[in-house]
Amino acid sequence: MNLWKRACLYLGRKKEKTFTLLAFLLVMATLMLTCLSIQSATDTANANMKKALLGYFTINAKPLETGLSEDALGQILDTEGLSGNYALRSYSYANYYDADGNSLVIDTEGAAQTPEGYENAGKIVANSNSGRDSYFTEGGFELTKGSALTPESKNAVLLHEEFAKRNGLAVGDTMQLGAITDDGNAVPVTVAGIFTNTKEQDAAGMSPSYDLYENIVFTDLSTASYLIYGAKDQTSVQYGDFYVNDPDELERIMEQVQKIPGVNWEKCTLTRYDKDYQNAKQSLKGLQNIVFIAIAVVSVICFLVLALFMTLRLRGRVHETGIYLAMGISKCTILFQFLIEVFMVTAVALLLSYGASTAISGQIGSKLLSQVTAERYETVDLTGTSETKGQPGQDLGLSEVVVEISAADYAIVWTFGVVLCLASTALAAYPIMKMKPKSILSQMS
Amino acid sequence: MNLGIRAVLYTARKWKKTLLLFCLLLSIATLVLSGLAIADAQEEQAEELRGTTGASFTVSRNTATGGWSSSGGGSYSTQEFLSDDMLDKIAQTDGIKGYNATITTILSLYGEDHRYLENTTPRGIEYVDSQYYSYGCVDSQYSSLFLSNTLSLVDGRQITMDDKDVILISKDLAEKHNLKTGDKIQAVNDPNANDPAKDVEIVGIFDVVADKTDEKNNYNMSSYYDYSNYAFISMGTMKELLVNYEDSKESDSADFFVSDPQKLEQIIQAVQKIDSINWNNFIVTANDEVYERVSSSISDTGTLITTLIVLITVVSMVLMILILSMSIRSRKKELGILLAVGIAKPAVILQYAIETLLIAVVAFPLAYLASKQAAGTLGTLFGRTAENVIVTPQHFIFVISIGSVLLLTAVLISCIPAMRLKPKEIFSQME
Repeated sequence: MNLWKRACLYLGRKKEKTFTLLAFLLVMATLMLTCLSIQSATDTANANMKKALLGYFTINAKPLETGLSEDALGQILDTEGLSGNYALRSYSYANYYDADGNSLVIDTEGAAQTPEGYENAGKIVANSNSGRDSYFTEGGFELTKGSALTPESKNAVLLHEEFAKRNGLAVGDTMQLGAITDDGNAVPVTVAGIFTNTKEQDAAGMSPSYDLYENIVFTDLSTASYLIYGAKDQTSVQYGDFYVNDPDELERIMEQVQKIPGVNWEKCTLTRYDKDYQNAKQSLKGLQNIVFIAIAVVSVICFLVLALFMTLRLRGRVHETGIYLAMGISKCTILFQFLIEVFMVTAVALLLSYGASTAISGQIGSKLLSQVTAERYETVDLTGTSETKGQPGQDLGLSEVVVEISAADYAIVWTFGVVLCLASTALAAYPIMKMKPKSILSQMS
Repeated sequence: MNLGIRAVLYTARKWKKTLLLFCLLLSIATLVLSGLAIADAQEEQAEELRGTTGASFTVSRNTATGGWSSSGGGSYSTQEFLSDDMLDKIAQTDGIKGYNATITTILSLYGEDHRYLENTTPRGIEYVDSQYYSYGCVDSQYSSLFLSNTLSLVDGRQITMDDKDVILISKDLAEKHNLKTGDKIQAVNDPNANDPAKDVEIVGIFDVVADKTDEKNNYNMSSYYDYSNYAFISMGTMKELLVNYEDSKESDSADFFVSDPQKLEQIIQAVQKIDSINWNNFIVTANDEVYERVSSSISDTGTLITTLIVLITVVSMVLMILILSMSIRSRKKELGILLAVGIAKPAVILQYAIETLLIAVVAFPLAYLASKQAAGTLGTLFGRTAENVIVTPQHFIFVISIGSVLLLTAVLISCIPAMRLKPKEIFSQME
């Protein structure tokens, strides 16, 4: 009889045994597949944690005569490892005029002095997202009317409530900002919003007039760029905060950024900010280790159990082997028959396990895990002030944690599963094959 | 023959099979035990991780509900301040690991020779050049400047609650005046007024990490001082220095840090139940942004590990039943003979159960020892360590009780098909 046929017949006749083997292999394969998909899902969760701990670095390019140009910025943003989340900032002073060019009145009460040339001037703060500026996140500023400035804002300003009242300005009105040094080129800007401060300025009485909260004006980056650098078609900035995906790579990214040509990096100051990550680093690593050990323990013991089970199964067939040998079937053929049987069952089990583990993984994914990507978060506040609530949150751009079976995982389980089943069968068959038919049959109980 | 003896004899005679079963039970029990230990360790590690996010809550004066008064310097709130007594009471709440309250003022510092310590950015005016932006603090490690890593301690130690007359100064200042930890300097609030001077010991030196030239810092008084001209002084000393200033020697607010941000809400509620404090006069604000950002990822990891462990446990149960039913089914012939010689069916089942338990009795305790080793060994094998993967006796008891019940059930279930048959039928079924 053909050995393939014999293998099929055996499997068909011993339905119970075949079924037990199939169930066993199916359970093991499903466990391994789910295990691997959980492993890759925890990797995603881990990367999300690192990202959410917000490691970033700041480039202080103020000492540069031209600041950070659009071109340099483009190159920095192309650096691998940046999360795409960044903030650009510029600070300056400007003279305030109304639409007709008449000087506006600033608050001088509470100022230590009003420096010469700054009688109608104040501090200009430009941030790609005004709501994320430290005045708003830490200093207790709050927008009362209008809307915050975004990277898309052009020729727009936010004014302090007091300043707007004093000068009769409201949202939608036009005023002009002029550089301190030259009286000529003033930029017309539209009032986009009004803000107020919820915390007292504790330096009132010792700061110069232009630093008083009432005299601060927020504007967009291109307007500030024009005031600082005088270029109309180019937007250059003084400071940039660049967030990275993996705080572990901060050092590498900062080094890479400093190799970008066309910027005098000697004059710039780069500062890394990753203390949240540094605090959590140790524990994060511990958690990762635990995940890893869990997966390792499961894999190793699974393989052990698999090998033991195959051995146990084959031991029940000593009698049969003796008869085959007595019939004159070669040992090779018998072994091959056993292997074919196991292989066929393994193949079916592996095919079925894909469906089973996909179902399990799907359940984990949809029922148990939080859908992080949908959530938005408040901005960080280190000083512990209360007024940050209600600020525009920032999207961390976390990846969704998906538990799914990748082709690579499936291939791994196939390879290991088949090799292990065949190897353990061969190994278990070895002692039986060594014996003569006579000794086998005489050993039977 | 006694069925106990028969069980032992069978186990010993079929020692190879026994050994296989034993190995299987050992592996599975080790798997479940390690799994349980890992689940616990994960829980612990996640808690530790949550703790590192530095969640806190701030208790501050509610200037909205208090009165206002004005004097030459402008208007000020007459709201009640946070007294030491209140701080103590709040700090005693369960789950709070530490707190810090600050009083800030400008102090003048003098060397041991009573000459002023010129700051790092002198302008040539003694009164200005001797000034330092100073924080009176209860526990300087919880100062926002140290927590945000704006400053970092490079020598000595932080100021703690029990300290008296101690100060932290910057590295730049220490180098400029050749000062080191253990040296004494003198502090006074206003040298031109009738303010007391105090001798203070330098217990720590900090270095400046952040970039102060970054103008995002510029919005209050502290921005006019270079970080290297900052000083931290023990709270008691600060209060003595400010003895002439009734309203500035009390704290506006205090930050309380909790060990587990998950319990922040609960802790705040407990704090607000302290009767001796009039909560109408104070605002409590939670600061757990960092935790909020990572919490979903932490709980995802937890869910994934828990699922894995549950899966392992379930699979292990299924495996045990499969293995036992297979081993018992291969003994059909023997079963037939036993029944044919007149041994009652329950006695046969009992014998099988005893055989299984004989193996389990050895396998389970060994699994306990094995799993204590497994996680650690596997960890170090791959260069990872997880010290807190610990198999506890509770895990062991859990595995023993569930395991035994499961084994017995499995024996019963796998005997059912054979038990329904008469010996004759069994034999006729045999090949």
